[in-house]
Amino acid sequence: MKRTLILASVAVLGLALILPSPGSARQEKGKEVLKIELPKPMFIGTPRNIRTPNLEPITGRPRGPFLVPVGTVLLSRGKPVTASDMEPVIGDLSFVTDGQKSGEDGYYVELGPGLQWVQIDLGQPDTLYAIVVWHYHSQARVYRDVIVQVSDDKDFVQGVTTLFNNDSDNTSGLGVGRDKEYIETYEGKLIDARGVRARYVRLYSRGNTSNDMNHYVEVEVYGIPGK
Amino acid sequence: MTNKAFRALFWSAVVCALFFRIVRLDVRPMHHDEANQAVKFAALLERGEYRYDPKDHHGPTLYYLTLPVARLLGERSLAAVDETTLRLVPALFGTGTLILLLFFAGSLARETIVSAAFLAAVSPLLTYYSRFYIQETILAFFLVGFVAAGWRYLRTRSPAWAAAAGFAAGMMFATKETSVILFGALATAAVLDLVAGPRPTSPGARKGQAVLFDIALFLASAFVTSWLFFTSFLTNPGGLADSVRAFGGYLARVGAPGVHAEHWPYYLRMLAFSRFRHGPVWSEAFVLALAAAGSVFVFVPGPGHEGRSRLVRFIFFFTVLAAAAYSLIPYKTPWNAVPFYAGAVILAGHGAAGLLNAAKSSLAKAAVLTLFAAGLLGLTYQDVRANFIDFANPTNPYVYAQTSPDFMKLVRTVQGVAGVSPDRADTLIMVVAPPDETWPLPWSLREFTRVGFWTDMRRAPKLDVAPIVIVSGSFAEEAGRILGKGYEEAFYGLRPEVVLALFVRPDLWDAYVRSSRSSS
Repeated sequence: MKRTLILASVAVLGLALILPSPGSARQEKGKEVLKIELPKPMFIGTPRNIRTPNLEPITGRPRGPFLVPVGTVLLSRGKPVTASDMEPVIGDLSFVTDGQKSGEDGYYVELGPGLQWVQIDLGQPDTLYAIVVWHYHSQARVYRDVIVQVSDDKDFVQGVTTLFNNDSDNTSGLGVGRDKEYIETYEGKLIDARGVRARYVRLYSRGNTSNDMNHYVEVEVYGIPGK
Repeated sequence: MTNKAFRALFWSAVVCALFFRIVRLDVRPMHHDEANQAVKFAALLERGEYRYDPKDHHGPTLYYLTLPVARLLGERSLAAVDETTLRLVPALFGTGTLILLLFFAGSLARETIVSAAFLAAVSPLLTYYSRFYIQETILAFFLVGFVAAGWRYLRTRSPAWAAAAGFAAGMMFATKETSVILFGALATAAVLDLVAGPRPTSPGARKGQAVLFDIALFLASAFVTSWLFFTSFLTNPGGLADSVRAFGGYLARVGAPGVHAEHWPYYLRMLAFSRFRHGPVWSEAFVLALAAAGSVFVFVPGPGHEGRSRLVRFIFFFTVLAAAAYSLIPYKTPWNAVPFYAGAVILAGHGAAGLLNAAKSSLAKAAVLTLFAAGLLGLTYQDVRANFIDFANPTNPYVYAQTSPDFMKLVRTVQGVAGVSPDRADTLIMVVAPPDETWPLPWSLREFTRVGFWTDMRRAPKLDVAPIVIVSGSFAEEAGRILGKGYEEAFYGLRPEVVLALFVRPDLWDAYVRSSRSSS
């Protein structure tokens, strides 16, 4: 019934009005103002109040296979993690590499607001092929300014390679990124490490669409050890 | 309590209530429902158009009561109106509810009125929804007004009070048709009150035909008030009949509450103790405890309470019945607690006054006052947090399907991009999202003249004719494919779990980023 009402309303509204913009659109020779039917918004009752976790992905199909050289293994499990905020609001930094990827409470670490990073020390320079990051996948949200860098320098001053950067307006000051933002899902975000050689992996973020905090459920770094 | 002390304390509570209700009214992003009502109000403001919708959005008083405020502030169009103007209406009625307590003077102890006024002033629930452009606070105002006028009539038998009670009842119905639940609770409470004790007497009691005249006056006043509002002041003759037809829809909601279904203890839990995940504890248990004490004093009057419990007994019956009725209806939203909670606050005031009177020694009185002050302080702390800090935080129990502050970043980005566009306010903006993922965009984009709303991708025209496109997160992938890699894409939270994607044509995006950098 509700759906029928919505469809009927859309049909009516579709015929509703054309909103011209007198005097505003610039006239050019041989061209005319593009007229588009602009439907009015539909009035509708109070939406659902969502407070419970949801493990369903919002968009897209399951991620396709990602090919890596034979012998590639998980390098990051149990490796030490440091961060810009060494006293997390919730959880422990060790959660980042503990292999637990559940979206429930008790599995993520929460860092303070603003630009924050976590860093994994692989123990030795390895050849990296993939990094998978789960920020917080029990809710549809997008993390801002996700930047993934690798280096052999633990301070990330020299020899820094940026593998992923979606800070399109450079608000985090690490350079303009051309990668897209994405909605968090249970699959995590897979970043192609393109065979770069490095010991340290650093991941930045600057809040998310639900709040200003930064979260990590898990980060996995795949590659060939020491090669 | 001396008259001077009463006046000083009572008006301090009113000033306190006004402060919490009108300060920074624009701090919380517009809720979906508020935006719906705001756009409906704009039609009334701009074109004098209002037609009662029996399917949703309740009665007309909210819109008509906003008119004088907007006109007084010199606002004549949707673009000119802002959040403060709209929310000022419930804020003033929320404060006015406290002032109505003065009509109970003589029937309630001064201590009861002052305590209830302070509790209402800093109640997080009552404050939160006094800053919310919906009907509940106005409904609570006329509910208290109705009880006050009705009580005054019983005391004086003056036809003027009968007419005033009728007006308040008419306004209740014209505010929310579902006020019939409250009328049912009021009527049942009156019957129980009669059963529980003798009929109230008044010095100038009218009899026979005079009482019938007063009843007729009450009914006529209620009918005319509702009739004028529902018929849009006689321009929509079918409006009043529609208000009755609306019950079909509301009854259906009772049977099928959909996404708003909650178990019966929902309101009790929300008020007594609420904690979500790692969030802080929220509790108005202090008010509930005092209300429980007040209920005890209704039936076991303490010293100094004799003869004054009659009105409180009625309020006790009403509060319990209304709370039970709302709790038994599966359809629940936190703001529905406002009217019956107003009754609980008066009971709590009675409880505080009763405890104070029961304290014999100065030391005991000081202990009660200290306890009361500490309770008020706790409520005030929560009030500040609920309304000025955690106003959109889902751990706040009064936050319900609230628009995320992140959404305002989307609005600011659109404004910034349009600011560098040659078309400025005439920049074409296309929004493709289901209706429940659309609001409050129509409100937030009200300054733009060319905004179109489509509910799904199949119905939308070619997206790339617009320099700014906003789509539901679930349409982002498809929209990205259509718009190609050139368009800049960014995501913003609308509500928890609901994400919107913004696409901006690259030339405008680059100009916007350049302009942002130069201005910073």
